[in-house]
Amino acid sequence: MISVKDVTKKFNNVVAVDSVNLHIQRGESVALLGANGAGKSTLLKCILGLLDYEGLIEIQSRNTGENLKLSKSLIGYVPQEPLFYDMKTIEILSFFGAIRRADKSRIDYLLELVGLKDHQNKLSYELSGGMRQRLSFAIGLLSDPLILILDEPTSNLDASGREDFLKLVKQSRENGKTVLFSSHRLDEVYYLSDRVLFMKSGRVVLDVKPEKLMSSLGIKVKISFKLPESFIADAMAILSKEGFTNVSRNGTGIYLEVDESQRVLPLEKLMQSKIPIDDFLIQESSMETVISQIEANGY
Amino acid sequence: MDIRNVLLIMRKEASESLKNRWFIIYTVCFSVLALLVLLFSTMGGEIAGFSGFGRTAASIINLVLIFIPLIAVITGGISISQERESGTLSYLLSHPIGKNEVFVGKFFGLLITIWFSILLGFGIAGAGVAIMGGQGDVTGYLLTVLLSILLAACFLSIGFLVSVYSGKASKAIGISVFLWLLFIILGDLGIMGTTVVMDLGIKQVFALALLNPAEVFKIASVLVLSPRFEILGPVGVYAVRTFGQQGVFYLLFSIMILWALVPFAYAYLVFTRFKKEEI
Repeated sequence: MISVKDVTKKFNNVVAVDSVNLHIQRGESVALLGANGAGKSTLLKCILGLLDYEGLIEIQSRNTGENLKLSKSLIGYVPQEPLFYDMKTIEILSFFGAIRRADKSRIDYLLELVGLKDHQNKLSYELSGGMRQRLSFAIGLLSDPLILILDEPTSNLDASGREDFLKLVKQSRENGKTVLFSSHRLDEVYYLSDRVLFMKSGRVVLDVKPEKLMSSLGIKVKISFKLPESFIADAMAILSKEGFTNVSRNGTGIYLEVDESQRVLPLEKLMQSKIPIDDFLIQESSMETVISQIEANGY
Repeated sequence: MDIRNVLLIMRKEASESLKNRWFIIYTVCFSVLALLVLLFSTMGGEIAGFSGFGRTAASIINLVLIFIPLIAVITGGISISQERESGTLSYLLSHPIGKNEVFVGKFFGLLITIWFSILLGFGIAGAGVAIMGGQGDVTGYLLTVLLSILLAACFLSIGFLVSVYSGKASKAIGISVFLWLLFIILGDLGIMGTTVVMDLGIKQVFALALLNPAEVFKIASVLVLSPRFEILGPVGVYAVRTFGQQGVFYLLFSIMILWALVPFAYAYLVFTRFKKEEI
């Protein structure tokens, strides 16, 4: 579906994207992760045809450089910060709908889908951040494109707006769209993607399944159990016997670190051993942990 | 180039401009001033006989010379630069539409809107004259309208050239206003000063005047409205004797067409050859 072959993008002498090669299958949902300045947005813009580059990008086996309009018509794009003309919601959709040759029924359907039917006569600057992003998403879907490219689409949204938006993307993904998105949030990656590409200094340094992301980097999941005082020693002994290392006592219970794939195992073992558990906490790793681990692993 | 996309952009530009309060203020001002000119012409008419279209058109010329170039060059100046600065252009180009279609659509969309306000102003004045029973040179009046819309095209074209070279709208407005001052206010002074300092001959003075589209418009309008080309002074006499009255008009008309086409074509080439990251 999307094929990126040896693509390099330089701004003056600064290399923003460095010899990137990747192939995205039809229906795949791929997350681009990385620190600020890693080259995620630049790579997305190269694929969109918004930047010149060295190398070859193909969409459906067609060189995008030679078939720019056709490529753009196959892609729905949602930028980080949607920028609209000072027009009504319905006028904006109609304008971009006309460019994408979408009919009126499609516009009505999308207004309904993204929950903007009641706001169709509002001017773009009267919409909230979440509404603007949903409008941008609706514009992206106008021509029912095969591919959705989203550039940190939730970075300016509040929790509720983010949740609504992610549900829409998930729905599109389930409807067979190929999704390529950049994000700063691991929870979005787990929720939406079935493949993670990690970028650093313009290069793709890691290409893994989301469930393998932490283990491939050697990042452990931190788990705390709050236990009755009299069971703490037993619990530590049981977990040590099961092969969990780094089990330690903390103020009101025990603390341990396990591989991502084993995150539920300590809980199961303690329950099987009839250890009463007052509470437990699984501490998810943050993007910062992932980035620092990437650095530490020398990628 | 897909003409449907050009028409879409034209429609969007025209619709946005017609809702723009500055544009509305400008159109209202131009129309009201045209009406005032008409009323003053009528008052003069009570003493010397109402002279109709020719007199009204001659009075409107001075309005045209100030208002139209200003609005056209500023509108053109911010057209591309503002969209580049705000990022809407980049977003627009992420859709299946070409830079060339956007450029041509924007230019003609804005041109039509400016023409609309000019025709409204002239239309009000013309209708007023007709209602009051004024008579005169209708052809001259219509030719003045034609020259005015051509003047708008010249300055819009110059504005677009400014716009493609200005990354920011504020810079584009600054340059546009400077050019307006240069062509409209300092134009005459420049020609006079250069003539005195460099001791230019009539031929050179005429050539110098042709470099300024506003000056070309002024000369052409006077030629259209008055059979007495002597009022243009020695330069006018030289021009008419050399090229003939009709010949001079065609020459001036052609120069205005060139002023409309050349900056537009150059801006088009610059814009469509922009590197994508320059958008």
